[in-house]
Amino acid sequence: MTFLIQQTLIYAVPLMIVALAGVFSERSGIINLALEGIMIFGAFMGVLFVNLAQTAGWFVEAKAAGNWLALQGFEILAMLVAAAMGALFSLLLSFASINLRADQTIGGTALNLMAPALVLFFIRMIANQNTLQMATGDSASWFMIKKSTLGFEKNADLGFLGNTLLNKVYLATYLCILIFVVLSIILYKTRFGLRLRSCGENPQAADSLGINVYKMRYAGVSISGALAGMGGFVYSLTTANCTSNGDVAGFGFLALAVMIFGNWKPLNIAAASLLFGLFKCIAAAYSSLDINGDGVYMLSQIGISSHLYRMLPYIITLLVLAFTSKGSRAPKAEGIPYDKGSR
Amino acid sequence: MKKILALVLALCMIFALAACGQSAAPAAEKPAEEAAPAEEAAPAEEAAPAEEAAPAEEAALSADDISDEMTSADGKYEIAFVTDVGQLKDKSFNQGTFDGVKLYASANGLSYKYYQPANGDQATDDDRYDAMKAAADNGAKVIVCAGFMQGNALAKAAAEFTDVKFVFVDGWAFDGLDNIAGIAFKEEQCGYLAGYATVKEGFTKLGFCGGGGGTNPACCRYGYGFVQGAAAAAKEMGVSVDMNYSWLYGASFSASPELQTLANGWYEAGTEAIFACGGSMFASVAAAASANDGAVIGVDVDQSFESDTVITSAMKGLSDSVVWALTKAYDGTWEEIGGVATSLGAKENAVGLPVATWSLKGWTVEEYQQMLQDIIDGKIVIDDNYENLAGTDSLTLNVIE
Repeated sequence: MTFLIQQTLIYAVPLMIVALAGVFSERSGIINLALEGIMIFGAFMGVLFVNLAQTAGWFVEAKAAGNWLALQGFEILAMLVAAAMGALFSLLLSFASINLRADQTIGGTALNLMAPALVLFFIRMIANQNTLQMATGDSASWFMIKKSTLGFEKNADLGFLGNTLLNKVYLATYLCILIFVVLSIILYKTRFGLRLRSCGENPQAADSLGINVYKMRYAGVSISGALAGMGGFVYSLTTANCTSNGDVAGFGFLALAVMIFGNWKPLNIAAASLLFGLFKCIAAAYSSLDINGDGVYMLSQIGISSHLYRMLPYIITLLVLAFTSKGSRAPKAEGIPYDKGSR
Repeated sequence: MKKILALVLALCMIFALAACGQSAAPAAEKPAEEAAPAEEAAPAEEAAPAEEAAPAEEAALSADDISDEMTSADGKYEIAFVTDVGQLKDKSFNQGTFDGVKLYASANGLSYKYYQPANGDQATDDDRYDAMKAAADNGAKVIVCAGFMQGNALAKAAAEFTDVKFVFVDGWAFDGLDNIAGIAFKEEQCGYLAGYATVKEGFTKLGFCGGGGGTNPACCRYGYGFVQGAAAAAKEMGVSVDMNYSWLYGASFSASPELQTLANGWYEAGTEAIFACGGSMFASVAAAASANDGAVIGVDVDQSFESDTVITSAMKGLSDSVVWALTKAYDGTWEEIGGVATSLGAKENAVGLPVATWSLKGWTVEEYQQMLQDIIDGKIVIDDNYENLAGTDSLTLNVIE
């Protein structure tokens, strides 16, 4: 059970934060199809930062001394780099769709095509192969928080909650949840959030009340880019051993689906990504899932083909979308370039 | 305003391009500079004749000092290497084979170049043929091809370029094509030793993650040998061993989140040591082991340098046998291996465990060498027909499909 919860969180959190990225952009009126591309770019930049910092010997002493707080700081630093680079990358989309009034769908698709190519080009230049890895060690030994890092005995029993939340976890997971909560509150409970949302519903009305629609949309897309870039790095850190290979397994597109069946609302999105994360975890680890702790691996003993388990996350996404899309409602003005002249 | 922004963006792009140009230039110059030290390293290699199969780890270390890319003066590259699926620097199969190419080429002052078939993991026979043709067109005299999947492309290329010699690693011979030397290994022997060592070390819950989706003969032999070795040790010690045996998520020999979750799940459910048998798959398994304080058994080359979780590695002397085959290609004894399938095993000192980085406590180097001798003498017979894979009284095999 502990394992199931932890692995579900690991898959769900990047999905959740990237879906929220989509919300910020779309609520401001810009369709952000480029989530996948920004994730790939953010993941690359984060891994590159880790790699370069290790090569420069920045945190090597802290690692040798077992100073885990410094290593967590390193992790946060890398997340910030990924976020900044993601925001920078998303400026391409905002410039094209806000200033040049280009078609947002096509702009996003262009970024999606560009990111993996660009990233692979750089990786081949830097590492002479298709994958960029950490310079030394692996993500678990550098960044993972375990019982032993917190000063507990190796065999200490922390109880169910302790085992689940304090052993073999990444700080990034909790940080993302925190950011998710804070940003959701900002979106709904602050002046800025209201203005942002109004630009996605009726920009002309917002403008007539003195809100600068261009600025708001720039803000929405940049926040979106920062979150997606960070989500990309968190994905590669927690699930892919801190490597970058120009691919995030379609998580950006899944995040779009999650956003749609979460109906552009944070709480629904959180639930949807947990659902998807759960099935993704079952798909990968069904053979060793011991749900109620009695030593029986039920899922592998029912005799269902492993292919079915691996299809499950996507089948569920399709099913839920089919049933919920009727009631979902996109921001009214999304996809329409804002033109001051047309009222 | 708009014009200024457009100008700024355009400038950004120009600078970005300029930056690329600068960093690309040193990269191109590097091989030329490194060519000199590489040649200096030659005497050290010659001191250890390939037939005697110098310890693989020594060879691997010095091969890292030789650049992967070189620029030859006349634009021709005599020795070519065509990679298997997966990456060149997989710290395993491809890299180990290429090390042999680099070592021989630099020791003899020959030019070398590697070719990766197009389309990566989805490479077709045509892609592989194109890579071989490109190599031949670039003046290759010997082409080393890694991986049994190159068979079809190789047959086509070898029939066309009859004066080029082909070394087919993990491969076999073709009727009527004397310019192909098929070199295979008795992986079941080092798999056996690794399995035996792991159980002797006190591990009773084992795992096997194989690459190639169960269709790669080399990986199948590794796995079957591993099972036999573990079963033998379990019987001797009177313990019962459980083994998870899976080909999942290994079809492309690459690391993946799914594989990492699978391995995490195994370790979480009590598995103590996993044999990561497939190139870059190692990274995922090692990451899971590191998170769960588990153990990993490496493959093809000594992988203890990659992760602290590695207890031993089932090695085959890739680099040494490539050097051996290349030597035969150049000293006029090609007939001995051309057109025939060579299978290298313990007798040829081509398989084994890494002695130099021995970290096992339950089983000593002396006992290992005794067992190796028993295998050479035929006292221990290891079945290489992996169709017979099955559990025994002392080993419960849990095949996951």
